[in-house]
Amino acid sequence: MSYNKPLPELDDVNRPFWEAAHQGRLCLQKCSDCDHVRYPVSHVCPNCLSYDSEWTEVSGKGEVYSYIVFHQKYNAAFEGDLPYNVALIQLDEGPRMISNVTGVANDAVKVGDRVQVTFDRVTDEISIPRFTPAEG
Amino acid sequence: MSDLRDKCAIVGVGKTKQGKMPGVSSLMLSVEAFKRAIDDAGLKKGDIDGLLTMPGTSSPEASLNYLRVGEALGIDPKFTGSMTMGGGTAGALVQMAVMAIEAGHATTVACVFGDAAKTGGSRFNRASGWGDSWGIWGMYGAAANSAIAASRHMALYGTTSRQLGEVAVACRRHASMNPDAVMRDPITIEDHQNSRWIVEPFHLLDCCLISDGGVCIIVTSKERAKDMAKPVVTISGMGQAYTTRNMEREDWWYVPHQKEALGRAFKMAGMAPKDIDVAQLYDNFTMSVLLWLEHAGFCGVGEAGSFVEGGRIQLGGELPVNTAGGNLSESYMEGWLHIVEGVRQMRGECDARQVKGAEVCLVTGRGMTLNCSNAMILRAA
Ligand SMILES: [Zn+2]
Repeated sequence: MSYNKPLPELDDVNRPFWEAAHQGRLCLQKCSDCDHVRYPVSHVCPNCLSYDSEWTEVSGKGEVYSYIVFHQKYNAAFEGDLPYNVALIQLDEGPRMISNVTGVANDAVKVGDRVQVTFDRVTDEISIPRFTPAEG
Repeated sequence: MSDLRDKCAIVGVGKTKQGKMPGVSSLMLSVEAFKRAIDDAGLKKGDIDGLLTMPGTSSPEASLNYLRVGEALGIDPKFTGSMTMGGGTAGALVQMAVMAIEAGHATTVACVFGDAAKTGGSRFNRASGWGDSWGIWGMYGAAANSAIAASRHMALYGTTSRQLGEVAVACRRHASMNPDAVMRDPITIEDHQNSRWIVEPFHLLDCCLISDGGVCIIVTSKERAKDMAKPVVTISGMGQAYTTRNMEREDWWYVPHQKEALGRAFKMAGMAPKDIDVAQLYDNFTMSVLLWLEHAGFCGVGEAGSFVEGGRIQLGGELPVNTAGGNLSESYMEGWLHIVEGVRQMRGECDARQVKGAEVCLVTGRGMTLNCSNAMILRAA
């Protein structure tokens, strides 16, 4: 069955993030001038406005900073998943990202839980980073 | 900016019927609200030389709304424009009117909003996130952002869903005393707890309405205000603050810029939380009221959950909040009606829900997920 949920729209700015994810690596941009590791993906450093950055692999380890559970249908493509969680993940390297905690019941997710990135291959081109409970 | 203290006043407020009005457009609602506001102020159309508008979610002309509304009203303003900050727009436009008047660019400014959101089917279900949309992970709708805030607040400070319910119950009780409110049947904490989940930790009764309606607010100088039809309501303090950063700001979820906006308003007015008699706090979701209470300094960080217990924010309590019912129960006019109610409380026009002897009202607004915030302190006379 084909994947009918929203997919990233790849362009020259975000393509490296998604190509790395498809290879099982969580890579973020590190500013070449101020070392700020940024997310979301951007062509410019929001800290020092430098255009120069390099893609660096991060550990994919972090913790649940906050989480919520959707019961209301906002987009029909997610109807079959209800109820599903969305989490704000604090990565150990600093940035935060919106994602999901998988492999665990919604009511077992808690703020502060340690998590580890995993990559959900949804099409031949795209793997979406999500997180699973982890030790330490 | 402290020299803007007490320089301008709100002299006219107009609101249309609220709720669901099939066949009525956002433009019709804007025009009707404008007519009611100039009547309220005892002004003629020709007295209005500034026009600031907020497009409704159902306004096809979007950010060109000032041209559409201006043409319908037959006004060639000295100063105009439209702003789209969601629930942060009303306060930002009234404050912009004050700045324009004090800078000599206009004398009397009408701030106008109309939206057939209910009839037009607006769902407020957009996914946030520039670049890679948060919709990739299923994060949709306005509720999600405030739910993220509530979930972390609960985890850090032990805030409970029942405490959120206190806000819903207070707003509904106040709406029951407001003949113009959309939702007037009183509710209990149990009703709140038993209402269906929308986005945990929010139940249905944690969420605001979606409504059709129009609102207009007229601002002029304090000097001119003295000659108008209704008692003068002075803008004593005002402040704004924003964060454009979401993921990049660690405390984004706590909406820390609200504290800056409030601080600027208190400083301009030369006042403190103890001076506030009644408050109209932007309540897109119950959680938002808790955050305003903490940021304003009515209680400490993490204490708002217990602060709202025991009827403290209900009429008769220590700090009546959202005395017309708020976005949760009066009508969802994206905060415009909070300013109207603030004005009417300061005029002493609120009948059964009037806070007796109230002379100072705090009004706040917030919009676009958690990004835009503002505060105003209104004073009687
Ligand atoms: Zn930099």
